[in-house]
Amino acid sequence: MSNSTSGRITILDIAQIGLMVAVIEVSKAALAFLPNIELTSFWIIMFTLFFGWKIVAVVPVFILIEGSIYGMNLWWIMYLYAWPLLVLIAWFLRKNDSAIFWAIVSGIFGLCFGALCSIPYVVIGWSSGGFANGIRAGFVWWIAGIPWDFIHCAGNFVLMLVLYRPVNGAMKKLKASNV
Amino acid sequence: MKNNTKKIIIGLVCLVVLVAAFAVCWKVFGPKATKGDKHITVEVVNSEGATTDYELDTDAEFLRIAMDELHDQGFSYDGTDSEYGIMISAINGETADYATDGAYWALYVNGEYGQYGCDSQPVTDGDTYTWTYEKAQ
Repeated sequence: MSNSTSGRITILDIAQIGLMVAVIEVSKAALAFLPNIELTSFWIIMFTLFFGWKIVAVVPVFILIEGSIYGMNLWWIMYLYAWPLLVLIAWFLRKNDSAIFWAIVSGIFGLCFGALCSIPYVVIGWSSGGFANGIRAGFVWWIAGIPWDFIHCAGNFVLMLVLYRPVNGAMKKLKASNV
Repeated sequence: MKNNTKKIIIGLVCLVVLVAAFAVCWKVFGPKATKGDKHITVEVVNSEGATTDYELDTDAEFLRIAMDELHDQGFSYDGTDSEYGIMISAINGETADYATDGAYWALYVNGEYGQYGCDSQPVTDGDTYTWTYEKAQ
């Protein structure tokens, strides 16, 4: 898949990284009208499984583009650790090749996304009124978003379950052709 | 194969347990509307920092309905409805345009930043709901 046998990043690597970012961005924009239904989790998992180290470049570029389009506000801080965490999870579990297994992983990530995103509110609350205030601020924020976490969970689960096999097959063919 | 099935079962159990735990948390700690008469205050702090107070006796369960009832007192709002509820763009005729200068209408409940939109903000007796014109830092 990679031409970087010498350890250098090749033009092909850069092109693939750019395409991966483009696929994530286009999918995200296409589903933007559906609240908390997204393909970002799906693509980040698939790209981690098939393109290995290149995801280390894809995720920061994706986060930077998101920040430049929508502004680097508090939600952007959440992106800085939430998506890299998903990459780490996918990397540790990369030997699994079951659609239902990855649907569960993606579903749990979607379910916990609100809890992950509440961390900055804990920090802000802590800095302004002590640790207990921080925990309360984060907890209240997380609770308010639980219905949306359920939607996120269901969306991630179903999308991975439906798309894993066909995309997995296409990526395997791509790898075999050494493009 | 057996190992794979075991992982899937463990994963499914984790997912079900998490969903159940989240549902319980939502049920216990989520917003609760109260029925019956309530006396509330709605404040509007405009872009110049001027405050207008509205007192209301209502049996509305959610803030948006109470805001509709304030129409007779001269209170008005405008916004865009979406799957997330209404996104307030104007209060008392003053528009906050985030795209132009990062301005927005923030909702505070008893002085603390609100966690819900006005569609899902429960109305509680004695509470003060403040709409404040703010700009992103």
